[in-house]
Amino acid sequence: MMRNDPIKHVFIWPAVLVVLAISIFPLIYSLTTSFLSYRLIPPIPPRVVWLGNYATLLQEPRFWSALFTTTLIAFIAVALQYAIGFGVALALNARVPGERLFRVALLLPMLLAPVAVALVARMMFNPTMGPLNQFLSKFGLVNLPFLTNGHWALACIIAVEVWQWTPFVILMMLAGLQTLPEDVYEAAELENASAWQQFWGITFPMMLPISAAVVFIRLIESYKIMDTVFVMTGGGPGVDTETLTLFAYQEGFKKFNLGYTSALSFLFLIAITIIGVTYLALLRPHLEKRR
Amino acid sequence: MLRRTFLMLTTSLAIAGVASQANAACSPDYTGVTLTVASQTGPYIASALKLGADEWAKKTCGKVNVVEFPWSELYPKIATSLTASDATFDLVSFAPAWLPDFVPYLSEMPKEMQSGKDWDDIEPAYRERLMVWEGKIYSQSMDGDVHTYTYRTDLFSDPKEKDAFKAKYGYDLAPPKTWKQYLDIAEFFQRPDKGLWGTAEAFRRGGQQFWFFFSHAAAYANNPNYPGAMFFDPETMDAQINNPGWVKGLEEYIRASKLGPPNALNFSFGEVNAAVAGGQVAESIGWGDTGVIAADPKQSKISGKVGSAMLPGSDEIWNAKTKKWDKFPSVLPGPFMAFGGWQIAVPKAGKNQKAAWDFVKTLTSPEVSGQAAITGGSGVNPYRKSHTANLQLWSKIFSPEEAKEYLGAQSDSINAKNVALDMRLPGYFSYTEVVEIELGKALAGQTTPQAALDAMAKEWNRLTDEFGRAKQLAAYRAAMGLPPKN
Repeated sequence: MMRNDPIKHVFIWPAVLVVLAISIFPLIYSLTTSFLSYRLIPPIPPRVVWLGNYATLLQEPRFWSALFTTTLIAFIAVALQYAIGFGVALALNARVPGERLFRVALLLPMLLAPVAVALVARMMFNPTMGPLNQFLSKFGLVNLPFLTNGHWALACIIAVEVWQWTPFVILMMLAGLQTLPEDVYEAAELENASAWQQFWGITFPMMLPISAAVVFIRLIESYKIMDTVFVMTGGGPGVDTETLTLFAYQEGFKKFNLGYTSALSFLFLIAITIIGVTYLALLRPHLEKRR
Repeated sequence: MLRRTFLMLTTSLAIAGVASQANAACSPDYTGVTLTVASQTGPYIASALKLGADEWAKKTCGKVNVVEFPWSELYPKIATSLTASDATFDLVSFAPAWLPDFVPYLSEMPKEMQSGKDWDDIEPAYRERLMVWEGKIYSQSMDGDVHTYTYRTDLFSDPKEKDAFKAKYGYDLAPPKTWKQYLDIAEFFQRPDKGLWGTAEAFRRGGQQFWFFFSHAAAYANNPNYPGAMFFDPETMDAQINNPGWVKGLEEYIRASKLGPPNALNFSFGEVNAAVAGGQVAESIGWGDTGVIAADPKQSKISGKVGSAMLPGSDEIWNAKTKKWDKFPSVLPGPFMAFGGWQIAVPKAGKNQKAAWDFVKTLTSPEVSGQAAITGGSGVNPYRKSHTANLQLWSKIFSPEEAKEYLGAQSDSINAKNVALDMRLPGYFSYTEVVEIELGKALAGQTTPQAALDAMAKEWNRLTDEFGRAKQLAAYRAAMGLPPKN
């Protein structure tokens, strides 16, 4: 087939139209809606407010609180996932006994649906019937307000996120570690480099590109956290654990405030883009050094 | 040939006979009709719908498919389906408070269902108030909901406890008449070292929490001298939720949270029932399910020791018009029709409307609903006169004394002159969401009761303006049973 064979249009255009229909059109429709005051319930006729929804949102303390909560969960959870995941991957790469069993067992949390994990976690952290508080009671310790105190509730959500998604980091980092050339380590050993020096001088820098990608993927995914928070705390107590997605859900599907929710979604998109771009800009000098 | 013709004729007649017999058993005949009902996740309500579905299937040969959604998902699912005018659901079961939002999409109840013995048997509080919207009937009550008081009779009748209580508080230990007495009792029985706590109420966001708060506030904010002014001023639609009556209600609700089992702040109504049935608390408030579950020996440790009464009240109630406390010669009980009982309705877009209303008739008939009301976990509480009058029906789960108190509390609450109706307004979720958020902060001690209520009032007034004050005022007056304002 020649490059300018008209048959190519037969293959390309259906795909382009499908993409337009299922992603671009809803995006444009949503952007248009964000400039309207538009409620389904109670039904209020749409009215153009231009940037009104955006202005209201930016002055809304609940929006900033949700953004802060989401950022806190994402950064702390991803940092822990990376540290633990890298550590476990290094251990597995060192061919510890029973490595295969560990590898399968450690991947299991990732295979579970977040809703199921959150339901189990809610039972674990249940104040009266949960095993954690019962365990504390056995030793005469006070019961902890796991899901009823804002700080504790946030810690519980982060713990669940770390438990569920660290395996993803393990998987990726292990794959990266297994591609590292062995001769570099042999040379280092000839130079009597300690394990610590080998890690900081060879492993960490060589793993930087894959680390950057893993952290980036997890960060973006963590910003979209919804199921875990919805099931475990419902955003409470008050709005202490309300994330941006949950806030959008409450506005869109409880209050059917469509214009406002669309604006919120675009602000969310902008926030994630800023974070992503900043992250890549900060990492670029280090990554370029590796080339 | 003749023989063969005779054989065929006989066979045809036999088949026709069997078929006509089968059809005669289906009255009216809805063979081949399958109705889809949206419900909250069982067992509450969904099991009652399934009970009705079995009866309807026996009677009409039709089928009913009960589709269950978690409580927090039910409103969005129904609202999305109704506003899109699709025929996903032939029937929807929902909270009365959502009726104003759903009315434009619901069909009116057939006139023939609005009269007769079964119709008159429905308690007037439901038939004439909760089921009515702007003079028309769009839904049928399938459950009666009013908050009542539940207590452990073994503790309350123990001479040692009685003496100790009187010595400490100076009055007899008995079901409380006022909320102060309620808190005294809770404080008296707060014995964590013995695995006994004072009271259990729902405090969790999304866990039916705000209805418990409303029950406290009703005693101080529902003034018979200015009817319908509990939530909003019925003349101006100004929010009343931050007036001194509500502040007192919130202060006492917060105090109750400290007299419950550890981490009571995480309690939804399910945990309240578990605490009561587990014998962990001396008293509690909540819907009628609490008493039924606590009486059931399969689910309860305090079976046979369950007492019931009306909610406590007050002898001074805030008057939203004069902006002063009105003093009454005696304590007025403060029953509150929290939630108001599940409603069932037929969407206009439904394709089987006749069959759907026929199902409603069966589901809510005195026989079927009576059976559901005495089934622990069905979520159905009395809403017909026959439910509370038929002591025989209740003897299956209650002792005669328990049944008398339980049914008395239900009936007296529903028929009390000063019974407070729950809020029903377009945009209901927008109004209650801010209540839940601010309650969470006040319960956690992050804000004062007055500040939390001021924030609620500010948001309520803003929402009212956004939705249209005149429209909301008309809806509120209709919900409170007040005539339209000229």
